[in-house]
Amino acid sequence: MEGISHVVIEVSDLNRSEEFYRELGFESLGPDHLPECGHHVSLRTASGQWLGLSESLEPRSLPETGVHQAYRVTASDRDVIGRKLAARQIDVHTHKEDRPSEEQDNFYFYDFDGNRVQLVVSNAESNGSGKVLAIDHAAVECHDLEWAEDFYVKVLGLAVEHRVGWSTADYVRAQLWGEGKEDMAPGTRRWDQRYTVMEQKRRIPRPNTHFFLRAGDSVLGIYLATQHRQEPPEKQIIGAPRIGLRVSRRALDETVKLLKERRFPVHGPVEHSASSPIVVSVYVKDPGANFLEICVPRD
Amino acid sequence: MADVESLSHSAICVHDLREAEEFYCDVLGATLGGRVNFKTDDAIRGRSVHGSVILEDYLLALMVPRNFMPMPPEDQHRGAHGFRHAFRVSRNRFDEITNQLKGRNIAFEGPVEHPEKSPFGQSIYFKDPSGNFLEILWRRDEEANYPKPYITGVG
Repeated sequence: MEGISHVVIEVSDLNRSEEFYRELGFESLGPDHLPECGHHVSLRTASGQWLGLSESLEPRSLPETGVHQAYRVTASDRDVIGRKLAARQIDVHTHKEDRPSEEQDNFYFYDFDGNRVQLVVSNAESNGSGKVLAIDHAAVECHDLEWAEDFYVKVLGLAVEHRVGWSTADYVRAQLWGEGKEDMAPGTRRWDQRYTVMEQKRRIPRPNTHFFLRAGDSVLGIYLATQHRQEPPEKQIIGAPRIGLRVSRRALDETVKLLKERRFPVHGPVEHSASSPIVVSVYVKDPGANFLEICVPRD
Repeated sequence: MADVESLSHSAICVHDLREAEEFYCDVLGATLGGRVNFKTDDAIRGRSVHGSVILEDYLLALMVPRNFMPMPPEDQHRGAHGFRHAFRVSRNRFDEITNQLKGRNIAFEGPVEHPEKSPFGQSIYFKDPSGNFLEILWRRDEEANYPKPYITGVG
């Protein structure tokens, strides 16, 4: 995988959200530009990645979970955005995540539909353009983390870059959160009700198990779901929200072969029309029923 | 009074489950057993993270404690409290294994000779990354048959 090609999120009001994301620094490409996004508007980063805003009556944004999208901007542009958000009376949260590389990136807010946006700073100097430079990372939830790891590593060929919840160090750090001394992003920590009577305290703070995968120049976060949620219908393989992963044509064919060998229901490869920004896509759901699109963007 | 019928498993605490799994699999030749707290149902029930490794006929559960355990000194390879897990290899593989440990820069004490009349032949003593004491030995009675415990899973 070379990186994230696009991210599709659900919003209830296309015009309002298009204006909001343009104000952040995305370039709008207008309506119905990406394949299989329903009634949508797409926007573009400086790096050529896309953000698809797909219209939905009940956007699946999962704000209380680890699910979020992270976009890269320059430090000075982030300050400007901070002021714009304040003017719109949108709170900026400064909670943290566990990845060491996100040390400077405790900057989160919610769009109108509860999609959590993180802004990470780039080392690049600002050229005054105010543009969103790239999609840095995106996170999804799964109800079975071992199966998810097996899928992303063995079938999609990604590598685990960072894990949280496997070590005592993470448990010790979670105690800080439990004491109110460290503000952590949703999905990274949880309160566990002990089922034994041996513990003096019935409720203890724990890290919520999750890991991050390196996907080319992007990162994917996979969080353990702490509640069961309704999955899309089993037969539905194309949907939103979804994450698009960029590959070469050869890698796409190899991936389709592996997916079919492992009996994952796959839709495609679908060759898109000559006017589409994507040449060919394969649609599949990960073990957490998250929609994925493995695709070859048009040059 | 309990008249236990067999060993089921034992559990040790490790500071990093992944590191411990790799150690027990690479160094001792274990295979991975079940793991807990990687599914939503485990999270809902407030279960702690633990895994297990299977060493031939032995189930060793690996628990992740909430606080760091006191580590024994670097150069101490046998437990102050005497607790350790000892695993048997056949005599003709013992030297090769000792060399492999050296090759992986795992510090150990030994080989230590046991008395002629003891069922043990020679032992080497070392630690896992979390300071748990381990021993590998060959036994003089290696021809004898031992009853194998029934492996139950964790989970």
